[in-house]
This record gives sequence, structure tokens and C-alpha cells, in this order.
Amino acid sequence: MLDAIDKTLLKTVAELEELPKGAYNIRKNGKLLSRHVSANINIETNADETGIIVKIKPGTKNESVHIPVILSQAGLYDVVYNAFIVGDDAEVTIIAGCGIHCGSSEPEGHAGIHEFKVGKNAKVTYVEKHYASGEGAGRRTLNPTTRVFLAEGAHAQMELTQIGGVDEANRINEAVLGPDSLLLITERVLTDGEQTAVSTNNIVLKGAGSRANMISRSVMKGNSKQIFYATIDAQNKCYGHIECDAIIMDNGTNETMPSLKAGHPDAELTHEASIGKIANDQLTKLMSLGLTYDQAVNRIIQGFLK
Amino acid sequence: MLELNKVYFTVSDSEGSGGVRNIIDGIDFTFDDGKFYVITGPNGSGKTTLAKLIMGINPLSSGDILFNGRNISTLSITERAKAGIAYSFQQPARFKGITFRDLLTVATGIEDESKLLEILGRVGICPLSFLDKEVDARLSGGEIKKIELATTIAANPKLAIYDEPDTGIDLWTIGPMVSLLKKELAENCTTTIVVSHNKAFLEAADVVMIIHSGKIVYNGSLEGAMPLLDDLSVCTYRDSCEGDRDAGCYR
Repeated sequence: MLDAIDKTLLKTVAELEELPKGAYNIRKNGKLLSRHVSANINIETNADETGIIVKIKPGTKNESVHIPVILSQAGLYDVVYNAFIVGDDAEVTIIAGCGIHCGSSEPEGHAGIHEFKVGKNAKVTYVEKHYASGEGAGRRTLNPTTRVFLAEGAHAQMELTQIGGVDEANRINEAVLGPDSLLLITERVLTDGEQTAVSTNNIVLKGAGSRANMISRSVMKGNSKQIFYATIDAQNKCYGHIECDAIIMDNGTNETMPSLKAGHPDAELTHEASIGKIANDQLTKLMSLGLTYDQAVNRIIQGFLK
Repeated sequence: MLELNKVYFTVSDSEGSGGVRNIIDGIDFTFDDGKFYVITGPNGSGKTTLAKLIMGINPLSSGDILFNGRNISTLSITERAKAGIAYSFQQPARFKGITFRDLLTVATGIEDESKLLEILGRVGICPLSFLDKEVDARLSGGEIKKIELATTIAANPKLAIYDEPDTGIDLWTIGPMVSLLKKELAENCTTTIVVSHNKAFLEAADVVMIIHSGKIVYNGSLEGAMPLLDDLSVCTYRDSCEGDRDAGCYR
């Protein structure tokens, strides 16, 4: 059922060697390849058959859902709408990812629109990895969108990673936070060659006591370009922080625009941004421990994107 | 054995007159194996510059550095590290996403947890909770200095250079830190060079070296160094200012 390329892509984006335990839904070239549901986690195709609805029962503990997408069909642009409804007090890990293998000169792409409704006091960890490979010259596009709605006391931790090989990415993250909810987003993007990536983030702190921390780590190699927009809109007594760091290698370019809006006198908002080459003192330190210049560069980038 | 032969580090004059200035001004000195050297001297005298010349962080302008008979003058930092020289920075680098554990693994090639814990036990001044801390801006000045010292010792160098290891360290740790460096020296015959003004290090030294204007003006026992150290502690601006009674002078 899974061929060698599928297995490689699955391993890279979902760290799966074989079919996972628990609930999963594997989509290949725009069609369902395999699905498994569990007692607490239901997966069904949505009404207009454009994606899936994942429902997690209230109070579910320590379960996971894998929903990888693999593309290896030339010329296909696959768009999918997935909804996650996480019941009150549930604790769940959702592992998504898209791997593209492009073996021809035809373009391939995927747009995954993921919407999360996280119930009261529920905790969600969402891990998303994007990766493209293959010897073909076809343009590989990945445009993921996540929309998160956190109910009172809900926690969401989101790890969003674009590892490499993606020619064009237009990434959008949106979130609306209820009272006392917490959102942690870490986005890591590595581009190379002539690749471009744009990341647009809008976080609305609506409820009293809501907290958000957005961390972005970008590395631009070759002539690649990344643009990062992040806005935190505070509408209540809340706390928000944006931390965006970009490392330029070769001739990469970067634009970073963190923006803070305080619409409430008790809003506490901060941001820090940096763009630059790898710091000399870091390279010197690692070389003084015996690494060569190139090894030191790799070690620093590996840590930065970890 | 580390030999410095007519070592110079020269920079162009800051006034743009086209002239040059010797930050290190023709130093000849031999460091014997397994001895504890403390380099001291006024701010800006060239102590850190000399230490960096030995590690290869600053390039020599002229002269030679021989380490165990081998001329290392043109070797890179990496090659000097591999030859057995380690360096502890006065202001250690901070990294996003790299932990103390990662640095120890880079320094030793060891990934095995029990062996890393053994190293921590040997270093003694770093609590176990440091191991998975990121070596980033959240660490305090004292914490990062302990980590810096630990990575230097963990590398098992033949020659260890510590640039002001006591900066940011609390008073209660300086004593144990001195004992630790002495113990490493006794057990592994590590030639130890410490750049410091701290009395605790000066008292522990086999040889105190005083550097002034890029030259070694004294080397020998601490006792012998005291008159000179007293002299150097006098304000060097005294002649040009109005003296103690000038209310504007807080030096």
C-alpha cells in the first residue's frame, strides 16, 4: 500500500516508519489512502468531500492523531479543508505534515487549511512539518493555513516547520484566544536557492488573562527570501510576545514586521526581532571546542531550527 | 611547553595618522608544563589580546608560537583546539537552541548520559539541572561562566586558558573554582593560564605575570609582584587631572 517514496515522505513529515497506532488519516495525491479511528477520536470526511473532520471526545487523555498528506503525482494541486473539534478537558497531540515528491517538470502543490476549535481547559499539541524532495524541476508549492479558536482555559502549542525543498510557501496562522487561554507558536522555516516563503500571523487576544507567545526562526540560504508578518491584537487584559530571529547565509534576504496593537489599558505586549549573519562569537566558541568553521555553522543552524 | 618568540600584535593607529600601535609589543616567554600562571595588569594592557593570540582568535602580526615544539603560529582555532588548547571566554557566546549538554558533547564527543554526568561531577560547580538548559540570553552571567568553564575542562586540554573566569561568579564559588583548576592541573598536568585581577587566583598562582602596555613587566612570585601591583593601582590620570580634591574625579 505504501511504496518506497511514500515511506520516505511519511518518515520525514510524520516520523512514521509504519502505520501509526491510534487514530490516523493518510491522504495521498488528493485521495484517502488509509484511515483508522479510535474509541475517543473520530475522523470523517466532511460534507462536500474536501477534507476531514476530526472530533476528539471531551476528557480524552494522552491520545494522538496522525494526518499526513503525501503528494507524488505530477501536476496536482491538492487543497484540503480539515477541522479539529477538541472536546472540553481533552489532551491530544495532532501530527500533520505534507511531503511532496516531485519527479517531473510539472508543478505540484498542497494547501492545507486547518481549523481548530479547542474546548474549555483542553490541551492540544499540534506538530506540522512540510518537506519537498525529488529530482524533478517542477515547482513545489505549500500553502498551509491554520485557524485556532481557544475556549476558556484552553492551551494550544503549535510547532510549524518547513524543512526544505519548498519553492514557494504562503503560510497563514490565525488565532482568537478566549479567557485565560494560552497559545504558543513556534515556526521554523529554512529556504534555499531561489525559494520564497511568506508567513503571516494574526493573533487576537480577546479574553481576559489570555496569553500568546509567537516564536519565529528563519534561515535563508542561497538567494532565498522570507517575509514574516506577525500581529498581536490585544483586546483585553492579556500578555503577548513576538520573538522573531532570522539568520542570513549566502545572499538570502529577509523582511520582518512584528506589530503590536493594544486595545486595552492592561494589555502587556512585547516583541524582539533580529536579522543577521551567524554571530562571530558563536562560531569562535564552537571552533575553540574543535569544530571546523563549516561544522560550527551547521551545528548553530541545527540548534536554531531544532 | 608553550613558547612565545618575539610575539607582536599590531593595529593601525586609531587617529588615522597612518601609524601603527603594538597592542602586544614583542613578548618572549616560555610557559612550562603543569604550572599555574596568572596574567594580570591594568585594563587595556593587552592581557586578553595575548590570550587570544595563543588560541588563534587574533592573528599574530609577527613572531612565533610553539606548542610542544610545534610551530602553531599559522594554525586555525580548530587546529589549535585539536592540538590540545582550550579557551574559556570572558564573555561567553550565547546560542538559541543549543544546550549545555550539546556543548559538552561537542567538546568531548561523548553523548552517553552517564559519562556526561561523570564530567559534571568532576567539574562540581554546575548543578545537574544545567544539563538541558539552553545556553541563551536567559542564563545569568554567573551561570554561563560556570558552563564556559565546564566545557573548557571537559575538553581535557593540555593547555587551558581562562579569561577572567570569575566575572559574574558569586563570592562563594570563586574558592571552589580555584580549587577545581588546581585539581585539574594536579591530576592531568594541565598547563593553566588565567587572566585575572582576583586575589584568589593570584594567590593560587605558581607564576604571576604582569603585563603593561603590551609587555611583560614582571614574572615571578606574588610576593615579588606586590610593590609593582601597588604602583599600577595608582590612578594613571593623576598627572593630567586636578588630583583627589577635584570633586569631578571619581576614579
